[in-house]
Amino acid sequence: MSDQSFADKAVMDFPRRDAHDKVTGRTRFTVDIGGSEVLHAALLRSDHASARIIKLDVEPARKMPGVRAIATGSDVPGRYGIGIADYTLLAKDVVRYHGEPIAAIAADTLEQARAALDAIELELEPLPASLTMADSLAENATLVHPDWQDYEVLFEGGVRGGNIAWEATVERGDTDAAFAREDVTIVEGFYEVGRQSHVPFEPRAAVASFEDGRYHIHASTQVPWTVRTVTARVLGVPESHVRVTVPTVGGGFGLKFDASIEPCAAVLARMTGRPVSIINSRREEQMTCLSRENAEIRIRSAVTSEGEIVGREATVLMDCGAYGGEQVFLTTMTTHTLGGNYKLGAVRICSRAVYTNTPPNGAFRACNGVYNTFALERHTDEIADAIGMDRMEFRRRHVLGDQDISATGQVYDGDVLAPMLERMEVLRAKSGSRKDLAGNRFYGEATTVGTWLIFVGPSAATVNLNYDGSATLVTTGVELGQGTMMQALPQIVAANLGIAPEDVIVKTADTDAAGRDLGVGGGRTTVSIGAASEAACTVVRDKLLGVASEILQTPKKDLVLARGRIEIKGRPGSGTTIQQVVAEAESRFGPISGSGSFTTPPFECMPGCTAGHFIDAIEPVFAVHNCELAIDPDTGKVDILAYRVVQDVGRALNPRAIHGQIQGGVVQGFGYALHEEITINETGAFDQTGFENYLLPLATDSIPVEFDLYEGAPAVGPFGTKGAGEIPILNVAAAIGCAVANATGKQVSSMPLTPPKIAALIDDCNPPLQHDHISPVWSENTIERK
Amino acid sequence: MADLPNRLERPLSVAAAIAALSGKTNKVVPVAGATWIMRAGSRGEKIDGTFVDLSAIPDLSDIDVAKDKVSIGAMATQDVIAKGLAGHADMAALMMATGYTANPAIRRAATIGGNICTADFAASDIVPALLALDAEVEIVSPDGTSLMSMAEFLSTRRSLGRAVLVTRIVIPRRLQASTHSRITLRKAGDYPVANLSAAITVAEDRTIRTAAVAVGGVEPVAKRWTGFENALIGRNLESGEFREIAGNYTDEFEGRDDTGAPGWYRVRLLPALADRAFRFLTKSTA
Amino acid sequence: MTTSLMINGEERSLTCDPRTPLVDVLRNELRLTGTRNVCREGYCGACSVHVDGKPMSSCLLPVGTLEGRDIVTIEGISQGDKLDVIQQAFIDLDVIQCGMCFPGMVMTLRPFLRDNPSPSRDAVKFALVGNVCRCTGYERIIDAVMSVVDATEVTE
Ligand SMILES: Cc1cc2nc3c(=O)[nH]c(=O)nc-3n(C[C@H](O)[C@H](O)[C@H](O)COP(=O)(O)OP(=O)(O)OC[C@H]3O[C@@H](n4cnc5c(N)ncnc54)[C@H](O)[C@@H]3O)c2cc1C
Ligand code: FES
Ligand code: FES
Repeated sequence: MSDQSFADKAVMDFPRRDAHDKVTGRTRFTVDIGGSEVLHAALLRSDHASARIIKLDVEPARKMPGVRAIATGSDVPGRYGIGIADYTLLAKDVVRYHGEPIAAIAADTLEQARAALDAIELELEPLPASLTMADSLAENATLVHPDWQDYEVLFEGGVRGGNIAWEATVERGDTDAAFAREDVTIVEGFYEVGRQSHVPFEPRAAVASFEDGRYHIHASTQVPWTVRTVTARVLGVPESHVRVTVPTVGGGFGLKFDASIEPCAAVLARMTGRPVSIINSRREEQMTCLSRENAEIRIRSAVTSEGEIVGREATVLMDCGAYGGEQVFLTTMTTHTLGGNYKLGAVRICSRAVYTNTPPNGAFRACNGVYNTFALERHTDEIADAIGMDRMEFRRRHVLGDQDISATGQVYDGDVLAPMLERMEVLRAKSGSRKDLAGNRFYGEATTVGTWLIFVGPSAATVNLNYDGSATLVTTGVELGQGTMMQALPQIVAANLGIAPEDVIVKTADTDAAGRDLGVGGGRTTVSIGAASEAACTVVRDKLLGVASEILQTPKKDLVLARGRIEIKGRPGSGTTIQQVVAEAESRFGPISGSGSFTTPPFECMPGCTAGHFIDAIEPVFAVHNCELAIDPDTGKVDILAYRVVQDVGRALNPRAIHGQIQGGVVQGFGYALHEEITINETGAFDQTGFENYLLPLATDSIPVEFDLYEGAPAVGPFGTKGAGEIPILNVAAAIGCAVANATGKQVSSMPLTPPKIAALIDDCNPPLQHDHISPVWSENTIERK
Repeated sequence: MADLPNRLERPLSVAAAIAALSGKTNKVVPVAGATWIMRAGSRGEKIDGTFVDLSAIPDLSDIDVAKDKVSIGAMATQDVIAKGLAGHADMAALMMATGYTANPAIRRAATIGGNICTADFAASDIVPALLALDAEVEIVSPDGTSLMSMAEFLSTRRSLGRAVLVTRIVIPRRLQASTHSRITLRKAGDYPVANLSAAITVAEDRTIRTAAVAVGGVEPVAKRWTGFENALIGRNLESGEFREIAGNYTDEFEGRDDTGAPGWYRVRLLPALADRAFRFLTKSTA
Repeated sequence: MTTSLMINGEERSLTCDPRTPLVDVLRNELRLTGTRNVCREGYCGACSVHVDGKPMSSCLLPVGTLEGRDIVTIEGISQGDKLDVIQQAFIDLDVIQCGMCFPGMVMTLRPFLRDNPSPSRDAVKFALVGNVCRCTGYERIIDAVMSVVDATEVTE
C-alpha cells in the first residue's frame, strides 16, 4: 500500500530520458543490432491456407552461397500456447494458414538467406480450408486441428471442442425468467467487426546467440518471460537455459505480447555458433500480424420501460485464426467489457475463440474491449430508442455505481461512471458544439461509456541504493514508447526515496537480472511493476532510516526523506545526506538494497457463475468518450469535428505523458473505426500487404483530443494510479459508430466504417447482418458441459 | 564479383539510353524517379534486370511554357511541374495532379514519364489530366522520334517494345481553364479511389464551347467521359446541374473492384467529382 | 561498379549492387541506423534523408543513381550536442513515444520550416502527409512545431 504522503512528490511532468537519442536517431532498437558477425535469417512461409506437406527438401538450399544453417519443424518440436499447447513454431506435416513458417535459413546476408529459400523443395497438397467462422462452425466443418483432444492443457477449466479452441461463459441469475417477464421490451442486435493490424514501426525482431551453453535472445518484445518460457518449451531445454534481454522497443500495441520468431533465431544461433538476426519484413509483418481479431456478436436484452436491464444474453465469436493464442485468454475479457458499463439483472454471456485457416490473431490495445464496447454501446442506443428514452438519460440512470454488481457478481466500489458522465457534460459545454463546421454534410454526435480492467498479475522489482545516492531499479519492464520505464517508474521510486527522478536508473529488461513479470501490456506496468517497485523501496527506506536513526539519534518515525537528504521532521537542514547514510550502512552491513513484488489482489466474484475464465473479478477502469462528426453524403467520408475523453486514471502521475497516450490511442481508434481494414481473400491471405493499402491515420486525419483526467476512483496501484495507456482506444469505435448512426439515422452494426460502407449505408444497400451460425437460442451456442 | 552483369547504367544522352536498352540480352529497365520500380518487394515481386538510369541525361527534365504549348521533359518531377505551371489556369489540371497528390517526398522524386509509363497503375492522377488537356507524348525508339496522342499512347504502351523511351509531353494551349478533382479514402496520402480532370473553353455568354473530361481510378485505364462531355457543349456554365447531368452518363464506366474500394463505389463518386470540378471551373473562368 | 557520393560531408565510394536502396546501404554498410526502414514503400517517411538539401525517401532511391550527390542523414544534422530547434521542441514538449518516426519527422520538418517560416497548423499537417507516426496521434508533434514557428499561431 502506498504512503500517500509521497504522492504529491510523485506527480510531475518528468521528461523522458530517452528523448534525446530518439530524436537524433542514436537509439538502437533490436532491428539496429548488427555487425559482420551477425548472420541473417529468412523464413519459408506457406502460400496455402490449408495443405499437407508432401515434400520438404532443404538440402539444395544448403549448397546456396552464404548459407550457414537451416531449421525445420523437427528442430523446434515443442508445442506452446495460451491455455492449450496447440502452436508449433515451424509447421510439420500440415500448414494451417497462409504465411505459416515452415523452415528458417541463416546466411551471411539477408539477400543470400532469401535466395536460398527459393532453393528449398517444397510441395504442398491443398486441403479444404475454413476461412470464416461460419465455415468453421458449419455442420461437418473440417477441423483446423483434428488432434485437438491430444493437446496439452496449460490452464484448467476451459471448455473446448472441434473448431472451438476455447469457450468462456458466465451465467448469473435466471435469464429465461427475465426474458419471459410480461413487462419487458426485448431488443436484439447483431454486430460484426474486422481485424486491426498494430503496425508498430519496429517489426517483430530478434537477435539470438548461444553463449556458455545458454541461449541469449535480444528481442523486440513486450513479454521477456514469455519468450523465455516458449523458447525453452519449443527447444526442449530448461527455462534457465534461456536469457532474454530487451533493448528499446519501437512500438508494440500488443503485437509483441506473444513469442513468435525468437525461438527460430535461438535454434539457428546454436546450430551456427554465431549471432543470428531475424527481422520480419514489413510485408511479412503485415501478412502474419497477430491482429486484433475479427468478431461476430449477438446481444439480446430484456428491458423494462424504465430502462432496467433485467436480462441480457450475448454470444461473441472471436476468430483466433489457425492457433488459439491470445484469443483463448481474451474470451475472458468479454464478460468484463460486454458485461460491463450497466447494471444487469440476470445475465449470461458466452465468448468463443474459433479456429479458422487464417493467420492467428493476438492482443491489441484494449483487445476485444474495443469491439465489445462498440457492440454494447450501439445496442444501448437501440435499447434507449426502443423504450423511447433519451440515449444520455439512459446512460446516466443505468451505468454501474457504488455497490452495484458486475456480470460476475463482483461488488464494485465507488460511484465513478456517473460523475464521469457529468464531467463530460462540462467538457462538452466548455468547448461548445462544432455542428456549424458540418455545413451541408450530415452531422452526428454520441457519448459512450466503456469498461476495461487493470490486467494485473505478478511483477518483481529490486532497488539498489547506490554509494553516490542514486538508485537503480531492476525489473523486467520494457520501454515500448509508452514512457512507463522513463517516467512513471522513476517518479515512483524517487518519491519513495526522497531523491530526484533523474537519479533513478532504470535497468532495461533482462530475465537474468530481475524476477518474473507478466509483461508490458493491458495498462498494467505502472500498476504492477510500480507496486513491486514501491514495495522494494519500502525495504530500502526501512534500512536507510534504521541507520539514519542511529546517526541522528532520532526515532525513525520522526525522519523524512527529501531532496537526497534525511531530515528530522520540521527541522530542515538538521539531518544528513542519503549518501552519508549509505556509506555508514556499507561499513556496518553492506550496500542497501531491497526487493518487492506484487500480484493480483484478491477481488471476489460470485462463486460458481463463470466457466473457462482466466480472471473472474477485476479492478475496473472506465472511460467516457464524446464524438462530433460530419459525413459527406457524396463520398461517405467521415470528418471528426470534435473528440472528447474523460478517463478514469486513478491518479495522474505524469499528466503530460497521459495526454500523449490519450491522443495516440484515440487516433489509433480513428483508424480502427474508419479506414484500417483487413480483408481475407480466397487464398486465405490478407489483401492489405503494406502501407499502400493498409491505411493508417495520417497527420491530416487527426484532431486535438480534448480531455479531462478523472482522479480519485478506488485503485490498487501505487499512489492510487491506474494504467492510462491501454484504455484511450477503448470507446473510440463505439463513439464513432454511434455518432455515424446518429448522423445517418441508419443502423450501424459493423466496423470499420470505410467510406464505401457508409455510402452503402446511406444508400440502404447494406444487407442486414445475419449470423446463421449463431443460434437464437443462447444455450445452443455453448458446448454442453458435463 | 566481376562476372556479374552491370546492374546500372547512366547514359548521358537519349541515344545512349536507347542503345543501352536495346543492346542487352538480359532484362533492362528504364529508371526515372524509381518510386514505382523500387516498390517491387511490396508487390511481391523482385528487383530484377539492369537499371538504365535516365537522370544523368541533360534536358530531359526541363519545362518550357510557351504561348502556344507547354513542353515538359519526361524526367520532370511532380513538384517541379507543379511549380512551373502555377498561375496558368489552363494548366491547372496538371498542376493539381502533380502538386496536390502523393506526398511531398514522392513529389520530389516521381516523374511525369515514369507515371504515364506505369501501365499497371490504374489510379494515376497525371494520366487523366493529360487526357483532358489533349497532351501528346514524344517517343524515341531506335527508329526515331514520334509524337502520339495520350489515348493512343495508353492503348499501345504495353506493347511499345523494350527500347522505347518517353522523352517529352507536349500540351497545346487551346483551352481556357482546367481542373482536377480526386477522392481518397483518407484526407490525403493514398491513391485516389476515383479522379476526374476537366478542361473547357467558354464563350463570352458563358456557354461551354469545348469540354474535355477524363476519369481515372475507376477503370484499369483512365479514359475520356464522352457522353458527359457532349452533354456539356452549349450549356451555360452558370446553369449548374453538373451533378445531375453527370449522373445520366455513369453507365459509361465499369468500376474495378480492388483492395480498398469496390467498383460500384468508384462509379458512385463520379457525379460528385464532376460537380466539384465544374463548380471550380465556373469560378475560375468568371 | 562504384558509386561515389558525399554522406554527411564525407566522400564515400560504395561497391554494392547499385540497385540497392540507399536506406539499406546507410543502415547495413555504413551502420547509420538513425535512418529507419519501416514501410519501404514511400509512405511513412521514416527513411527520409536530404539529397542535395531536399528531403527524400531513401527506401526508393537506388544508390547507383546518386553518383555525385550530397546526402545528409539524421546523424549528420546535429553536430555534437547542438540540436535543431525542432528536435529541442520535441524533447521539451515530451512528444516522443517509441521514437522510430522521429528522425524522419526532423528530416522533413527542418527544410520545411526553413522554406515556410510561419506555416499554419494545417500546412504543417499537409507537409507531414508522408510521415506516419503510429504512436502519438500527431497533434502534439504539431504543437511542438507551432511552438517554434510563430507563438501566436498555436491553438490549444
Ligand atoms: C507513396 C506514394 C504515393 C503516390 N501517390 C500517387 C498519387 O496519388 N497519384 C499519382 O498519380 N501517383 C502517385 N504516386 C506515384 C506513382 O505511383 C508512381 O510511383 C510514379 O508515378 C512512378 O514514377 P517514377 O518516375 O518514379 O517512375 P519509375 O519507378 O522510375 O518507373 C516506372 C515505370 O516506368 C518506366 N519508365 C520510367 N520512365 C520512363 C520513360 N521516360 N520512358 C519509358 N519508360 C519509363 C519504368 O521502366 C517503370 O516500368 C505515388 C507514389 C508513392 C510512392
Ligand atoms: S521506409 Fe521509406 S518511406 Fe517508409
Ligand atoms: S513515436 Fe512511434 S511511430 Fe512515432
